[in-house]
Amino acid sequence: MVRQDKGAIVVAEGSYDKAMASLFLATTAAGLGMEAHVFCTFFGLNLLKRKARPKLPGMYRLFTGMFEKKMKRLAGVEGFQEIMETAKDLGVRFYACSTSMAALGMKKDQLVDGIEVLGASKFLDIAADSRVQLFIG
Amino acid sequence: MKMVDETLDARELMCPMPMVKLTKAMRRRVPGQELEMLSDDPGSVEDVPAWSSGTGNELIGTATDDEGYHFIIRKGE
Repeated sequence: MVRQDKGAIVVAEGSYDKAMASLFLATTAAGLGMEAHVFCTFFGLNLLKRKARPKLPGMYRLFTGMFEKKMKRLAGVEGFQEIMETAKDLGVRFYACSTSMAALGMKKDQLVDGIEVLGASKFLDIAADSRVQLFIG
Repeated sequence: MKMVDETLDARELMCPMPMVKLTKAMRRRVPGQELEMLSDDPGSVEDVPAWSSGTGNELIGTATDDEGYHFIIRKGE
């Protein structure tokens, strides 16, 4: 029997670690046959910008490139943009929080294609119907 | 008749990359087709069975040797 579960993930930070953790989980969920929904709020919204290139948090940001290379070398992990493409290819759905967009002065045309702008109620409606709910922030 | 027609070499990859590769490789197959996957990520030992049962594919064999962990997976209907 094929699993038909849903997974709802909230990403509230835009740093490389939070981005990759949420993309790994969403991509794996989609690979498992689950519907995967990722709601990006606050600085998590930056991950949906065109050509986003998230950095490690704090002063570690200076070592992001080195860390990415290490991930590639030791674990074969692709870069953020490649994982994002894989996620979309596997059907992961991404949502932008409408309030955060206003607060950060972001317009929909700054975001990558295929993003739905949602309010909390609609996302909670999806989350209430999901067996897995994760908050990454 | 050759049962396993392709080996997916997922060595030197770690979670979640082996499962991403497996998902993509299985999408290209027809039901009943079998694929051998070879991984050296210890996470695969539990991940591959969980993935198989969750996606309606059948894990028909596993083995461990010097190369790593071998899995034979048959694509479900």
